[in-house]
Formats: sequence, C-alpha cells, structure tokens
Amino acid sequence: MNRAGGLRIGGDNYKVEFVSYDNEYLPDKALQGMKKLVGEHDVKFVMMLGGDTWPAVQPFATRRKLLTSTLLPSDLSPDAPYHIAPCEVHPIYNVTGVEWMAQNFPELKRAAICAQNDSLGLPSVATYLAAFEAAGIDVVDQNIFDPSTTDFAPVVTSMLASGPDIVCLDTCYADYVNLITEQLFHQGFKGKIISCTFDNYQDVIEKTSKEFVEGFIFQFPDFDDPALRQDFINFKRPKDFYEKFVERHPGQWSAVAWEYASIMDLWKAAAEQAASVEPLAVLEAMKQGGRAPHAFGDASWWGEELWGIDNALVGNWPVVTVRDGRARIEEFRSIPEWWSCYKDLLVKHMEAMGLMHYQQG
Amino acid sequence: MNSASRRHGWWLAAAVLLPALAALPFFLPFHRQDFMIFLLLDVMLVVSYRLVTLSGEWSLIHMVLMGCGGYASALLSKRADLLVWLSIPLAALLTAAVALLLSFPLLRMRGFYFLIGSYAAGEAVRLAWKYFVYPFGGPKGLKLIPPLELQLPFLEQPLSFVEPIPFYLLLLVVTCVSLLLLYRLEHSRIGLTLHMVHWQPSLAEAVGVNSWRYRTLAFACGAFFAGLAGALFVHYLGSINPNQFAIGEMLYILVWVIIGGTRTFAGPVIGVVVLSVLNEIFRQYDEWRPAIYGLILLLSMRFLPDGLESLPGRLRGLWRRRVAAAQG
Repeated sequence: MNRAGGLRIGGDNYKVEFVSYDNEYLPDKALQGMKKLVGEHDVKFVMMLGGDTWPAVQPFATRRKLLTSTLLPSDLSPDAPYHIAPCEVHPIYNVTGVEWMAQNFPELKRAAICAQNDSLGLPSVATYLAAFEAAGIDVVDQNIFDPSTTDFAPVVTSMLASGPDIVCLDTCYADYVNLITEQLFHQGFKGKIISCTFDNYQDVIEKTSKEFVEGFIFQFPDFDDPALRQDFINFKRPKDFYEKFVERHPGQWSAVAWEYASIMDLWKAAAEQAASVEPLAVLEAMKQGGRAPHAFGDASWWGEELWGIDNALVGNWPVVTVRDGRARIEEFRSIPEWWSCYKDLLVKHMEAMGLMHYQQG
Repeated sequence: MNSASRRHGWWLAAAVLLPALAALPFFLPFHRQDFMIFLLLDVMLVVSYRLVTLSGEWSLIHMVLMGCGGYASALLSKRADLLVWLSIPLAALLTAAVALLLSFPLLRMRGFYFLIGSYAAGEAVRLAWKYFVYPFGGPKGLKLIPPLELQLPFLEQPLSFVEPIPFYLLLLVVTCVSLLLLYRLEHSRIGLTLHMVHWQPSLAEAVGVNSWRYRTLAFACGAFFAGLAGALFVHYLGSINPNQFAIGEMLYILVWVIIGGTRTFAGPVIGVVVLSVLNEIFRQYDEWRPAIYGLILLLSMRFLPDGLESLPGRLRGLWRRRVAAAQG
C-alpha cells in the first residue's frame, strides 16, 4: 500500500503506519493493548482477531467511538456500533461448501460432525447443522470435544462408528484438522471430508496420501488460484501477494493470511472517499449505499437478524477442494441467497445452542 | 535483626512505598495504569495462594477459585441487580464457601494426589461454566458486567471506577488491607500451626491439632482472597469467560510463586512483580519473548533455587566473604 503511494487524502499522499500489539489472546492484555494503541500511537483503526478478547475491549472502544474490525462476526452486537466484520463472516460462509457438496455428490446422505467446545467451534456447529438440514443430509453423530484434547483417535473412532458418508471437521483449529484427518486416514475412512479450513494441507498429504486428501472440501483458497484473477475479485494482485507472503513466511500461509490486507484495502478506499482518517467518517463512507467491495466481489452490509446490527460485509464466498495435491476454487457461491431460503433453519440451530445475540450473557 | 526493629523496618518501608504507589499512576501512560491494576490483582492472587502452600499443599484450582469470585459477582450484579459494592464481598464469601465444600473430598488427599485432585475439581467447575449457557454464558462467558460506581454528595455524576486511576487507588487500598490481613494471619497462632501441619504433621496430630481443619481454613481463606481478586477483576474488565481461568493461567501463578520463593511473605510478591515487569519489557520482541522469559526462568531456577527472595541474603554472604578474604 505504501509502495503504491500510500493514502491519498485532499490531494496529498500519506504513508500508513502499522503498529502491532500481541494480546496473547488474553482479555486483560487486549484491553492494555487497545489503550496503548490509542493512547500512545493515536491509531485510527484497530484490526483484531476477535473472540474471547473482544468483550473486554468493547466498552472502551465504544466509549471512544473507535473503529475496530473482527474476523469473527459473532462479536458483533447492537451495543458496539463501530465494530465491523468487513472480511470474514465466520461461520456463515460454511453453508456454501455444504450446498456445493450436496449438489455435486447427491449420494452422500449421512454426516458426522466434530468441533471443539468454544466460541469458534459452537457457532460453526450450528451453521453446519442448518446447512446439512437444508441439503437433506442427516447428521448421525455430533462430537463436541474439549479444546485441550490432544488425542483425536477416540473422537474419530466414535464418529466412524455411526457409519457416516461425510465427516465434517467444522471450524476445528488448524492443528486439530490435520490430526483428525490423519486419524481418519489411519482408521480407514473412505468418504468425503468437509471442513472450514485446511491449513498446511501439504503436510497432511505427506503424512497420508494424495489420493486420500483428493476432494477435501474447505473454504479458504491459496491466493495464486487462477479463479482469483476474475474481474469481480476486489483483492489487488492476489498472486503477487501470495508469492510474497510465502517467500517471507515459508510454510505459514493460512486461512486468515490475506484477511488483514483485504480489510486494509477496504479501509483505504473508505478513507480516501471520506477524505479523512477519522473513524466515524471512514465508517460512514464504508457503509454508504449499504454495499462495499469485498475481496470476493461486491457485498452488502448485513447481519441485523443474526447479530442485531448490519455490520458484517456479506456476499460470495469460494468453495475450495484439493485437486491433484493443490487447493483450487471450485465455485463462488452466494451466502445471501442461501440465507434468503434457509434463514429460519440457521436461527433455529443458533437459538438451540444459545448463540443468538439476544441470548448472549 | 530483632523482631521489633524488623517491624519498624516494615512500617518504614510501607510509609515510603504506599504514597509512592498511590502517586505512580499519575505519572504513567494510559495502558501502564492498566498494567499496574492487573499487577495488583496478581499480587493478591499469589499471596493468597501462598497461604494455601503454608499448609504444605500445592493446588491447581486457585485460578478457578478466582473465576468463581468473578462469575459470582458478575451474576449477582448483572442478573440479580445487586449493588456491585455488595456483590464483590458476597462473591468472595461464596468463593470461600465453594472452597469449603470442595475441601471435603480434596483435603482427604495429600501431596501429589491433592494436586491432581485440585486440577480435576477445577476443570469440573470450569467446564460447568462452559457447558451451561444459562446462567454462565457458555464458552463466550458474560459481558457488559456493570462497573463499580460511587455517588458522592458533592459530585453531579457518580464517580466511575471504569477509569483506571480511581480503580487503581481503590484496588491499592483493598490489596494493602488484604496483604495486612494475610500477614497477620500467617504470624498468628493459626499461621504457626499451619507451619507445624506442613513440616511436622505427625507431631501436630500427636499434640491434638486437627490438621484437616487447619488445612481447610487455609484453603478457604486463600479462596476468599482469590475470589475477591476475581470479583474486582470482572467489574473492571466488564467481561468474563472460562478460558481466562484455564490451567495455562494457573501455571503462571505457580511460576511466580516458585521463582519468587515461598519461604517469606514477600517472596511471591517479588516473583510476580519481577516476572510481570520483565514480560512487559520484552513485549517488543514478539516471538522471542517466550524464549527470553523461559531463559530467565531456567537461569533463576539454576542459580537461585530458593527463589528471588534469597538473592539479598546471597549477595550479603558474597559481600561478607569478599570482605573476609580482603582482610586476610
């Protein structure tokens, strides 16, 4: 961004300064970090992972009218009007993978699902349950394990005992996805695997086989994917970004590697449009007309029915599979279209797990 | 040094240190004020943990007991609309009651069995917070917990303890009172009996001391102060979730106490202050920080096996040997 001239406001170019703070995923450290960024560095926009750390920061950030972003839209709520999810709408995009699978493999009718019991895993379970129900797939086993689990053999044995055609790894952490996939290989699973992420899939291929991993469905592409060169993609030079990232951080490309860059693109465009970096002006410019350029195509600000506020940018999301040892986008599918048909199902499952915004503590 | 002059030394140190600590946040940047707040809470936590170790038991449930205080006060104030000023002491008492209940199965065990039992009990409590979305909020926990406020007759708006300086000053008072009470307890007849239960359990039983009762007392008193710290913590932070009280966080308490030393009252305080300050100093080194932190731990355990509290004594010994050598 800075090499391309930086931020252009009022005819002048400004360099964007990035300041980081490691909050160790601890709420008290996140609060200290937010105060440091605001108090010492006068930051205008804070990008966070979200999750457990957000509630501790929320009162301070809201009082200060600070523009903040999260990768987890479940952090959104009506009492945090300056908090946005402009890139990843976890876990709602997972419906696109199930929908694609159901259309391309209609013979698969029995799914077993596993996830860790935390704020990342449970909303994703509710979403997959809704997506499977919408696709007419029976969920024959649900295995919610503690996040401190290290031995996944019993989890896999229990799932396979129900005779599933599909094993759904939900939004398990990257290490868990790899370990569970290896267990599925060792325990002789022959069906389809679907997951939210599949980071470091090359390592799994080395430990299992190319044939076993072939057709693994997930939601996050490598950014050198030819499908990202299409005109509607708003992420600038994805292949160059991917190659530079892999060169600088070998073996560290992950589901979220591109997301902060994508959010910065959106923020830059809004700041230039608003001719200001002040949080409220940027937010207003960002949300003007109810639409904005998301990395995977133009999208709408949405979320009122699920999170109580239209602060999540939702549009198309890619369905990715492993083909011949590489992650490749099969298709882009529309999340709003799925929502317009099956929203009652998603709300039903979210409510059953106490995950709707009005059920939150 | 006799006990009277040592007492005078303590009072003198307190007379210098307390005003300095009270004035400190006025000279610190915004986020450092928060650091001081969390440091004081950690001081309360480690000193209350030391009371438990006095009876010879090392538990892995202390962090969860802090969480009990936090959850209890959050629920009392948020769901039962109780005044926060009441919910905090009530939460500390409830935490002591939980510890009392847990002491029936736990304190039948000793040593390693107690350690593992306390871990299992702590996990059971923590997983219950995760499992029950109502009332505990499940894995996401509780948020928008009401802060402490004080309506004073000469102020138009209530004094809000959401701001770090008022909260810090309040916490400094609570911490000082807590430390004073814990110090008095340790140096009372009860404290001496706890030492005997630890070091001479057979002798203690032989002279009619009910060691189970004393261990229970230490466990419940430690829990009271951990609960108090937890309650204050959530009303400042405004949120609570089960992951904050996981075993990883408990290990920090153990490290602070072990590195600081448990022989004296000041040992754990030195441990938590030194390690927390070092952690902040090395924050800028990002991924190197855990390695640096680990190296410091290894070096201190290798060269100061009795903890940082033994450092002045070692330095004094070294000085005396040098003087003696110089004098021939």
